[in-house]
Amino acid sequence: MPATVRQRPQPGQKNPDSSTHALLPFLQVQSATALSRLYQSPSSCLSIFRLLAPVERQIVMNLLWLESAMTPSTLAAWVTTEGQKLYDSSLDTLSHLHILHNYPTKLALNTTFKTSLRHAITGGGTTGSFGVPAEKDEKRLPLDVEGLDSYALERWETILHFMVSSGTGQNPQRPSPGVLYLLQRSGLMGNQHGSLQITSAGFQFLLHESHAQLWNLLLQYLHMAEERQMDLVEVLSFLFMLSTMELGREYSTENLSKTQKAMLEDLRDYGLLWQRRPTSRRFSPTRLATTLTSSSPDLPSSTGASSTGFIVLETNYRVYAYTDNPLQTAILNLFVSLKYRFPNLVVGSITRDSVKRALNNGISADQIISYLVTHAHPQMRKNNPLLPVTVQDQIRLWELEKNRLKSQEGYLYTSFASQADYEYVLNYAKQMELVLWENNAKRSFFGSIEGHANIRSFIERRSAGGSG
Amino acid sequence: MDRPSHLSVVIDLDPSRWDTLNLSLFLSHLLGFFNAHVAAKHENTLAVFGAFPAKSVMLYSSSDPIAEIPPNDANSYPPFKLVDSTVVNRIARELELIADDDLDAPVALVGALTKALCYINRLTVEANAATTSSTDQSLEPVALPDPRILIVSVSPDITSSYIPVMNSIFSAQKLKVTIDACQISGPENVFLQQATHLTGGSFIYAERQDALLQYLIMALLSPPSVRRTIAVPTQDKIDFRATCFCHKNIVDIGFVCSVCLSIFCQPVPVCSTCRTKFPIKTLQKLNSSRPPLPQSNSSRAPTPSSSSARPSTTPRPPATPPTGSDQRHLPRSVVNGHAP
Repeated sequence: MPATVRQRPQPGQKNPDSSTHALLPFLQVQSATALSRLYQSPSSCLSIFRLLAPVERQIVMNLLWLESAMTPSTLAAWVTTEGQKLYDSSLDTLSHLHILHNYPTKLALNTTFKTSLRHAITGGGTTGSFGVPAEKDEKRLPLDVEGLDSYALERWETILHFMVSSGTGQNPQRPSPGVLYLLQRSGLMGNQHGSLQITSAGFQFLLHESHAQLWNLLLQYLHMAEERQMDLVEVLSFLFMLSTMELGREYSTENLSKTQKAMLEDLRDYGLLWQRRPTSRRFSPTRLATTLTSSSPDLPSSTGASSTGFIVLETNYRVYAYTDNPLQTAILNLFVSLKYRFPNLVVGSITRDSVKRALNNGISADQIISYLVTHAHPQMRKNNPLLPVTVQDQIRLWELEKNRLKSQEGYLYTSFASQADYEYVLNYAKQMELVLWENNAKRSFFGSIEGHANIRSFIERRSAGGSG
Repeated sequence: MDRPSHLSVVIDLDPSRWDTLNLSLFLSHLLGFFNAHVAAKHENTLAVFGAFPAKSVMLYSSSDPIAEIPPNDANSYPPFKLVDSTVVNRIARELELIADDDLDAPVALVGALTKALCYINRLTVEANAATTSSTDQSLEPVALPDPRILIVSVSPDITSSYIPVMNSIFSAQKLKVTIDACQISGPENVFLQQATHLTGGSFIYAERQDALLQYLIMALLSPPSVRRTIAVPTQDKIDFRATCFCHKNIVDIGFVCSVCLSIFCQPVPVCSTCRTKFPIKTLQKLNSSRPPLPQSNSSRAPTPSSSSARPSTTPRPPATPPTGSDQRHLPRSVVNGHAP
C-alpha cells in the first residue's frame, strides 16, 4: 500500500490512456472477504461498476446474466487482434478486484457481485442500499439544490483556502479539527513551529482538479479509517451509497450502522452532505457526493468562471485572471507574482522568482503548465498551441536550472599504495557499478554509499591476502 | 478514452404483430438493457421512441425535466426507476389511444427514426453551442460523442418507405450516428440490414426471445470505442436490393436513370423524377434482353414500344455505400440478390 501521497498515482495528471480510477488500486489490495462483504450491497456494486474502464464494464455486462460459467475462449473469440492486450489486462483487473471468479480457468462473475448488480439494475432485494428516504416534513423543508451547492462549495473552499493561505500571515476560517487532522495525517499539511504549514504534497494537491482532490482526500480518509478501527466495508459502502443518492432529497439516518453514523460528522465537514443540526435524523447529500462515481463532475462553482476557464497568458509572461474568487487568486499566487487586483480581474506575471518559489514548494513545472491549460480562458483556446511556447519552455528551463546539482552520498577511496592496487579495486567497484567518479592521476575514486561495505571488505580481504 | 455516450432506441410497437408475441417479457428485457446503458456511466444519455401504427412518439428522454418524481424506495437506483416507469406508462397510454381504424395502418418506423435523428442533431448543436459560445468557429466543433440509434423491429419491410429510410441512413452518416438493429420476429428486414451496414452498426436476429437481453448486451450495448476491442457481430451477407420508384417493389434487376439515378422495375421512356427522355433504340434493346415480367406489374406497365430509353441494364456488383451528402442520391447500382 502506498505510504505517502506522492507515490500514489495522481488522478489529476493521469494520461488519457490509463483511465484507472484512484480508488481501484485501493480496492485491489483489500482482502477477498472484505470485498465479498462490500459486494453484498447493490449500490456499491453499481458504483464500482461505474469506476471500471469501458472494456471492463462490457465484460462484466456480458457475463452478468449468464447462469453458468463461460470458457475463456468463448469470449476471447469476440476480441479483435489489436484489442487483445487491453482485453487481457482488463480481465486481470477484474480478477484482482475479485469480480471475476476462478479466472483464468473459467469466466464467471463472483456470485455475490452478480446477485447484487442484478438487483441494482432490476431494482429488487431488500438491502436498502440506495438509502432510505426520509418522510416529508412539512414544517421544515429540505435545503434546495442551490442551497446544497453553495453549502458544499463553501465547505470545500474553506478547506482549500485554509491550505493555500497557511503561513502567509492571513487568518482564514479554520476548518473543523477533524479536517485539520486529516490534512495533517495525509501529509498535505505539516506541523511546523506549532502551526500548520502546507507541505509540497499539499501544493501539488491544490493544482489538481477538484474531483481528483476529493478522491485524494477520501482515500486518505479510508486509510485513516483503517487505523481508527472503523469497519472499512461500512465506510466504503456508505460512500458508494451516497454516490447513488439523488440530489435534493432527504434521507433518513435510521438504517445506518454505528460506524456510518459516526461518518456523518466527518462527511459534513468535507461538504459531502448536509444536516440541519448535528443531531438531526435526516441528511441530504450534496453534489460533491452524488457525482463521486462520475468522471467529470459538474462541481458547483461560485463564480461560474472556473468551469469555463478564466486565465489569459500572454507571450510576455503576463497573466490576466478573470476571477474574484479568493481561493483561485491564492492558488495563482503560488506561482505568479500578482501586480494589480480589480473587482473581477487579477493581473500578474510569471517571473523567474515566482516560479522558483513554486518549485521550491515542491510544485513541478508540468503541474503549473497543466493548471494553466485546464483553466485557460475560452479566448485562449483559439490559440494553437494553447499556451505560448516561449512561456512553457521557460518554465521548464527554470525547473531544469534547479536540477543542475545532484547530490549523492558516498565514500572517497584514496591513497592507494600502488597504481595496480588502485586499478584492481577500481575494476571491482566498476563491475559492481558502484563508481560515481574516478581520477587516475590522484589514484582516488568515489563510490556510492550502498557499495561501501562491499568495497571495504574487498580491500580488507586483499590486504589480508597480500600481507599473508 | 472513457467518454459518455448517447443511445436512442426506436421500438416497433405494432399491436397486430405483438398479439402473437409476449410484450411484457420483451419490455422487461428491454428495460434491463436501458438500465445497463444508464448504469455504465453517470453522464450517459438515453432517449426512447415508439413507432405505433401511423404515429411515432418520444417515450422518454433523459434530458426531459422530471415531471413526476417516482416514489423512492431504498432498494432501487432512482434513475433506473424513472426510466422504467416512464417508458412502461407511456407505452400503455399510447397503445390505448390508438383508434381502431388506425390499427391496420403501417407502423411509423421511419417517423420514429427521423425523430431520433432530429433529437441527436439537436443534442449535437446544443453541445457545440455550449462549448463554442464565446469563441468563433476556429475551434474544432465537438460532435456528440458516440451517438447511436438502436432499432428494435418486429415488422417486415414496408416497401413504400424505401426512399425515406435511405434518406435517414444518409443523414445518419452525416451526423456520424451508428445505427444498430435487432429484429425479433418476421422475415429479415432488408432495409434495416442496409441501414446498419452503411452506418457501421450491428444487425442481429434474436431467435430466442427469452434470451433477448443477452443478445442486446453482447452485441448492441458497447459504444463504438469499445467495439474496437470487443467486436460485435456484423452480417456476413447483406441484402442490398432496392425498391423501384414506380411500384415500390423490391427488385432483383432494375433500371436506373442515368441522370438522377432513380430506379425503375422496367425500362421507361421518360424518367418520372427528372423528366429525362431516353432514346427509343436503347429502350427496345433493353426490353428484348430482359426476362419476362411478373404478371402483377404488367397491367400498370407503360407500353415499351412507344418510347425510347437509355438506361443502364447490367446489374453491377453491390456497390460501395454512397458517400455523397446529396440526399437525392440512391445506390448507384441496381443489384440482384444477395451480396457476396
